[in-house]
Amino acid sequence: MSHTVLVCDDAIFMRTMITDILAQAGFEVVGEAETGTQAVEKYRQLKPDLVTMDIVMPDMGGIDAVREIVKQDPDAKILMCSAMGQQALVVEAIQAGAKDFVVKPFQPSRVLEAVQRVLG
Amino acid sequence: MDLSQYAELFLAESREHLSACNQLLLDWERNPASPEPVGGLFRAVHTIKGMAATMGYGRVADLSHRMENLLDHLRRSGRAPADEIIQLLFRATDALEKAVGLAVAGREREADLAVLAEIDRAALQAKPAPQPSGLARHFVEAPEAPEPVASAAPPGSARLVHVVIRPEAPLKGGRAMLVVRKLQTLGTVHRVQPAAAAFESDDFDGRFLCELETARPAADIEAAVRSVGDVEGVTFGGGTDESQVSPAESVAGGGRTRHIRVDLRRLDTLMDLIGELVTERGRLNDVAARWVGQDPEIDEVAIQISRLSADLQNEIILARMTPVWQVFDRFPRLVRDVARQLDKQVSFRVEGKEIELDREILDALGDPLVHLLRNAVDHGIESPAERKRHKKDPEGEIVLTAVRERSSVAISISDDGRGIDRAKILEKAKREGVVDPHVESLSDDQLLRVLARPGFSTAESVTSVSGRGVGIDVAMTRIRALGGSIEIRTEPGKGTAFVLRLPVTLAIVRALIAAVGQERYALPLTYVAETVEFGTVPLTTMEGRDAIVLRDRVVPLVDLRKLLGTNGGAPAPPPRRPVIVLEMGERRAGIVVDGMLSQQEIVVKGFDAPQGTLPVFSGATIMGDGVPALILDSAGLV
Repeated sequence: MSHTVLVCDDAIFMRTMITDILAQAGFEVVGEAETGTQAVEKYRQLKPDLVTMDIVMPDMGGIDAVREIVKQDPDAKILMCSAMGQQALVVEAIQAGAKDFVVKPFQPSRVLEAVQRVLG
Repeated sequence: MDLSQYAELFLAESREHLSACNQLLLDWERNPASPEPVGGLFRAVHTIKGMAATMGYGRVADLSHRMENLLDHLRRSGRAPADEIIQLLFRATDALEKAVGLAVAGREREADLAVLAEIDRAALQAKPAPQPSGLARHFVEAPEAPEPVASAAPPGSARLVHVVIRPEAPLKGGRAMLVVRKLQTLGTVHRVQPAAAAFESDDFDGRFLCELETARPAADIEAAVRSVGDVEGVTFGGGTDESQVSPAESVAGGGRTRHIRVDLRRLDTLMDLIGELVTERGRLNDVAARWVGQDPEIDEVAIQISRLSADLQNEIILARMTPVWQVFDRFPRLVRDVARQLDKQVSFRVEGKEIELDREILDALGDPLVHLLRNAVDHGIESPAERKRHKKDPEGEIVLTAVRERSSVAISISDDGRGIDRAKILEKAKREGVVDPHVESLSDDQLLRVLARPGFSTAESVTSVSGRGVGIDVAMTRIRALGGSIEIRTEPGKGTAFVLRLPVTLAIVRALIAAVGQERYALPLTYVAETVEFGTVPLTTMEGRDAIVLRDRVVPLVDLRKLLGTNGGAPAPPPRRPVIVLEMGERRAGIVVDGMLSQQEIVVKGFDAPQGTLPVFSGATIMGDGVPALILDSAGLV
């Protein structure tokens, strides 16, 4: 059975691209979230194998969403999607429980490597 | 990876964010002390940066990155920005918008980045004093100050793990943090050098060491560290202890909703195909009516097909509907810019943002609305001094409203300005020979007709904003081409309102099919109020035209036979002719035809009327029998 993924990013553009990369590699994107609040909510509903999480989102940011999700499920597998220059935020996200990160602009091969690492 | 497929999506989404930026800047300009706008601006610019970098649009990414940097400083300083900073951000947003458009068009090199220097200068000034990161507090395992590790290590129980992250890896600090987390699953990490706070710095070179207390052999530790990825080397120097590895599990399932994105052109094609289907359905109904005596089943099939195609059509129409905010959202910025340019104070309000229109109508509406809004600021709203003299609030108000009516949407632009000076317009119209010299006053309708004459301008001076005398006539032509109408209401000293009425959807409309002579004409039901029979209602005249009296209101008549010059070869008109009463806002007219044949859905095809054609047709359609029929333009008849 293919792994299920929840894609969290406030930009449709990014969600589309991540979804395309993952779908082509055989993953099943089962949900999308535009805000941290939605991400937490959908994680609860969908219990995906993997979450990709943008750091900067309206309403609740990605790092707070990681904290909330990890509180619910300490084994949640969350991959942060960050941008150059977000070193401090990425370090904070990992402290909060994120399992790995990729840096925009995304290269499909690097995204998939990170996903494999996170899923172990 | 082929990125071109994402270009449209990039453009559409960037525009949404740019529109949001303008809105947020307007809010911020109004209330510089408010802490909210800067957060939203930062997110919007950050999102554009990420998308642009992914698309490989370097200049867009660079510009948005430097804007983000400035916004970040402003956000952290927590102080209200100076007006010039907000003006700079407006200019930067404009530059970014242009750069985005050029990048998608493959001409990114032409983007003008002159504003960059100013942004960087402002960012430097706004930079808050350096503060220790809050993160250091979270990192409980790290000592406050790094010391020489060997001397502080508990004797015999710990190993020193030296890790080097690949030099080309992005965000090495993040990677290093992952290594530390990984080592924590093997044992206890007593010390990290440099301290984790250093990982947050962009200067971190990717070399660090951890003191790990664990029973695991070196090979396990090395494998664990390397599993994090982007690790160049692992070396050791130290002792041993115990550990545990955390298990992993996953659960799948739950409810799922799916969305896909569809190119608008696909929807257009689908709409065209459904249009054809509707036409064929009309034919099928005709055939079924002829054959129903021989096989009643054909009727049943025809009814089913009708029902299914109607459902299909409704679905596709809904899919094309777009809320008006998608076009309206750029207007607050426009009104503000024009008002600033003219030194006027204007508050601008939009109501009914959620009202939906067919995408094509909405797109075509943008320019006419821009004309009317510019006019409202330029000619409608008075200068603050003049307003004060007339005991009005120095700040004028313009309201843009969308309201759903029966089968149309009314969009009004109203201002509380000086109103249109009818006497002056009348005088000028007389001088230009547009109206009869002994007309004493202009009704709203007449006023609009005069204003909408090409080239008619009353502006004493032509400004760069409006007043070239093209606004209203261009707007009116565009709205009429969409099957809509314009109305004007104005009161001296109190203000002016333009009301545009538009069909909700363009492609397929319900219409009355009327016969005149041997021809059939389609009249969209959008503006049909009722039908009466000629001869059963009292007759009168109005301004020299035949008219009927309908519930105490005089409705002027338009005889289509006379108007269209139906020739003598046509059969004589029937004794009892139907009158179709059209209603457009306050205006009404009764259209006299020979007969009413049916009421049906028609597919509107635009057409370029040859020169000299009466201005009463808005398009053509193909009837069920394959013969074309002209569509009458209600606005041209009323």
